[in-house]
Amino acid sequence: MGNPHTREAFKNAMANFLKRKPESLDDNAVLLELVQESFLLVEMIIELQEQFPIRLSQEDLRAVRTVGDLLQMLIAKTA
Amino acid sequence: MPKDIAKDKENQIWLLSFYRVSEITGALFFGRLAKSMKPGPIQMDLTRHFADEAEHARLWTDCLAKLGAVPLKLEETYQERYLAAAGMPANLMEVLALTQIFERRVINQYSRHGRLPGLDAPVRETLALIMEDEKWHLQWIREALRGMESEYGAEGIATTLKRYAAADKEAYADVLARHGDRLDVLLGGNDAGEEAESDQDRED
Repeated sequence: MGNPHTREAFKNAMANFLKRKPESLDDNAVLLELVQESFLLVEMIIELQEQFPIRLSQEDLRAVRTVGDLLQMLIAKTA
Repeated sequence: MPKDIAKDKENQIWLLSFYRVSEITGALFFGRLAKSMKPGPIQMDLTRHFADEAEHARLWTDCLAKLGAVPLKLEETYQERYLAAAGMPANLMEVLALTQIFERRVINQYSRHGRLPGLDAPVRETLALIMEDEKWHLQWIREALRGMESEYGAEGIATTLKRYAAADKEAYADVLARHGDRLDVLLGGNDAGEEAESDQDRED
């Protein structure tokens, strides 16, 4: 199921960006509902790439809808 | 006749307010992006770009005031339409490619607007001021994209630009479908998309 430390690090970074507590980020939460504005989601994705050695493309995000989807995809990118 | 003048005035206020809110949206986006970027040339250019967009919003606000109007509070922005049509960019190259296409559309729109006969002086002057910055926006992004070729490949970047150019046409068509009556004065019976497309061809 991926590296739990990495998962936690990604989740903490997302929570930090969204100014929320990590435990409040439910895996089933829909990202666009969390950020409310799609531009904020773009910024969060870019910021994650600034913080972690990963490179994402639009194609990678096509199937990403929830917090859990994004975490899973980020972990897969670091594998 | 007075009714038509009133309608034209109303459309002009809407359009200038639309420009203003798009500039504000751009400023907020580039400002936040510049804040999260690592130091370097792109961070510097993004910061200047952010400042330009904020200044343009001020110029449109002042322009509306000179016309004796106040900006309309519009919820809709052109950038949101872009994201809906193009999908979400996921890295800096995609953000810059999308911005490049968007800036071309802005330049076409502003230049078309600036050529209208009988334009109010504050509008003409504001458009001229903004157009100077817009040319620089195209230039720095083009150079930044060139610098990214080693990472993303020239072909990958060209493909991304083409994909976003197609989305641009879709987003503009959507705006026309919703607000064509307000933009009639600008369109003059032509398809405004043709200009953007020919610019795209010149670029490629």
